[in-house]
Amino acid sequence: MLELIDLSRRFGDVVALDGVSFVVPAGSIVGFVGPNGAGKTTAMRIALGVLAPDAGEVRWNGAPVDAAARRRFGYMPEERGLYPRMKVRDQLIYLARLHGVARTEAAGRADEIAQTLGVESRTGDRVEALSLGNQQRVQLAAALVHEPDVLVLDEPFSGLDPVGVDALAGVLRRQSDNHGVPVVFSSHQLDLVERICDAVVLIDHGRIVASGTIDELRAARARRLVRVEVAGADEEWFASLPGARLDALVPGGVILELDASLDEQRVLDLARGSGDVTHFSRVRPSLAELFREVVQA
Amino acid sequence: MSAPRPAPTDRGAWLLVARRDFRVRLRDKGFAISTAITLTVLSIFIFVRAYAGGGTPSYELGVVGTAAAGMPVAAVAEQQGIQVSVRSFPDDAAGRHALSDGAIDALLEGDGLIGQRDVPQQLRDVLQTSAAAGRIGSALADAGASSAEIARLLDPHPLQVQTVEPADAHRDANAGVAFIGVFLLYGQLFGYGVWVATGVIEEKASRVVEVLLSAISPRQLLTGKVVGIGSLGVVQLAFIATFAIVLAKITGALSIPASAVGVAVLVLAWFVLGFAFYAGLFAVSGALVSRMEELQNATVPINIVILVSFFISVGAVQRPDAPIVVLASLLPFSAALAMPVRIVVGAASAPQIVASVLILVGSTALLIPLAGRIYAGAVLRTGARVKLRDAWRAAR
Repeated sequence: MLELIDLSRRFGDVVALDGVSFVVPAGSIVGFVGPNGAGKTTAMRIALGVLAPDAGEVRWNGAPVDAAARRRFGYMPEERGLYPRMKVRDQLIYLARLHGVARTEAAGRADEIAQTLGVESRTGDRVEALSLGNQQRVQLAAALVHEPDVLVLDEPFSGLDPVGVDALAGVLRRQSDNHGVPVVFSSHQLDLVERICDAVVLIDHGRIVASGTIDELRAARARRLVRVEVAGADEEWFASLPGARLDALVPGGVILELDASLDEQRVLDLARGSGDVTHFSRVRPSLAELFREVVQA
Repeated sequence: MSAPRPAPTDRGAWLLVARRDFRVRLRDKGFAISTAITLTVLSIFIFVRAYAGGGTPSYELGVVGTAAAGMPVAAVAEQQGIQVSVRSFPDDAAGRHALSDGAIDALLEGDGLIGQRDVPQQLRDVLQTSAAAGRIGSALADAGASSAEIARLLDPHPLQVQTVEPADAHRDANAGVAFIGVFLLYGQLFGYGVWVATGVIEEKASRVVEVLLSAISPRQLLTGKVVGIGSLGVVQLAFIATFAIVLAKITGALSIPASAVGVAVLVLAWFVLGFAFYAGLFAVSGALVSRMEELQNATVPINIVILVSFFISVGAVQRPDAPIVVLASLLPFSAALAMPVRIVVGAASAPQIVASVLILVGSTALLIPLAGRIYAGAVLRTGARVKLRDAWRAAR
């Protein structure tokens, strides 16, 4: 389990992190989301030890992270970086060795991860000769080649085609499920986060504004919305219902926001009394909607 | 959880870095080019010393009639340190034929001297002196002097020359070697220092440095880079020195003193000391900027210091005891260039050498942690040039 505890960091007058705490449990994938400049990259850099916090600490399995533990982390920085003129395979072997993989194993690991990420045919090429998408895959391979104990990935999906997205999602899932590796990644592709992640941490202005499973977030944060379509009803059929407000007009009906005290069934009863109900459903806000709601609050 | 793995430390990671930096640069085109240029320049220098300068000037003089007529000329020439071989021809025509063939440099016909286009000044002087000696000899003979007396008068014993300071038979050769040595050292210190700086910028500009620093500490990365590039510098220098010594031995003309190998070792040792001192500075100047184009500006102060040290050290070949040279051989910035020169020309005393080495090693030991800290504070910051103070504060 990876713990970020009360991390703070300033850059001059800018407060990048202001008491950031969250946990990435073993075997789970955590999505780290937030607007640009919210502090995601700073938090990840601190987790990897490439940046020092002003206050707070990072713990791995209960102990403060030291250089030896960090060497077992896998990291993909926001700013992609590899030696442009070094061959893919040489580069992966070199990075594996820097992460402490034995000489005899490094080559095998490099070939294996290249295969997994679908760049096995390009391992003899220089990195600069690859397309951006393939460079991205090699970058991921570099983060994974030493079979890390923890994965911290800054925007790993940006720039990948759908096939690459699926390949990476599969790799992350396997690392997490089969090896119990805690995985945290940042992304702006919220549908992807919703699909892949076990939990989400939402950061804004250097503070954690929400965290938990997506269902928990919905329960805690989201408004209760129902979509109702009633044929032949008066436009304002719900006006007499206390605790229900119009949220939006949709083709053929409305979305109503309900107070916590108002039972959905009462809404349905009223609707049936007003005409033929052709559609009645809960509206589950997407992560993107939750995100907007939280960030704009 | 997967099976517990032994937690690896990054001890020894610098060795991996060093090996990569060594290999990458060994295969670099720049390395091949700089080696080729250095070897070419050295070869030219050695060949010029071997076949042009030095040696005894020699001329072929043709004489019509018997060779005896030219003998006094040869004798006078020998006194002046010039070699004149005399060849006799039966008649003028044969002599002029040899002249136009280039077989002889000049032809003596009675009282006249004939050349093809010109007669070398040295040869003219010899003949003039010889003619004068001949007339003086005749006059003395007329006055009744014996031929032995005449010979003694015309060929006095050479003056005894003594110097106030003890003469070193190899002084010239040593100066030549010192000169080559200081050139090589300068090129090597500067070239490989810049390579450290560009290596740092390369990693910074390609952003690979963040990936590297998530695996190993900045100190390991910097140590590895400096050791790797420095080792290549040592190997190249050793190769060049071996080449130069072998070539000089083969051509035979540059009288390399027996201690040439010793000088080569000396140069290598001072390269290691000087490089250790300067590498940290070059690494810092590389870490403070983000793009290759900015490197030139960032390294200006170091360049100036090295260049000034170099000029002082070139001067040291001729004046190894000038106060500024002695000072330069003790200061850490310039010791690696000035001190080896003073050692080679035999001007450095043992206490001076010891002091110089201690000062250089001591300041390097102080400088490396400082450079390491600034490097660590600056190397992840891209964009505008990082201020020294900010870099210092950023590293904690």
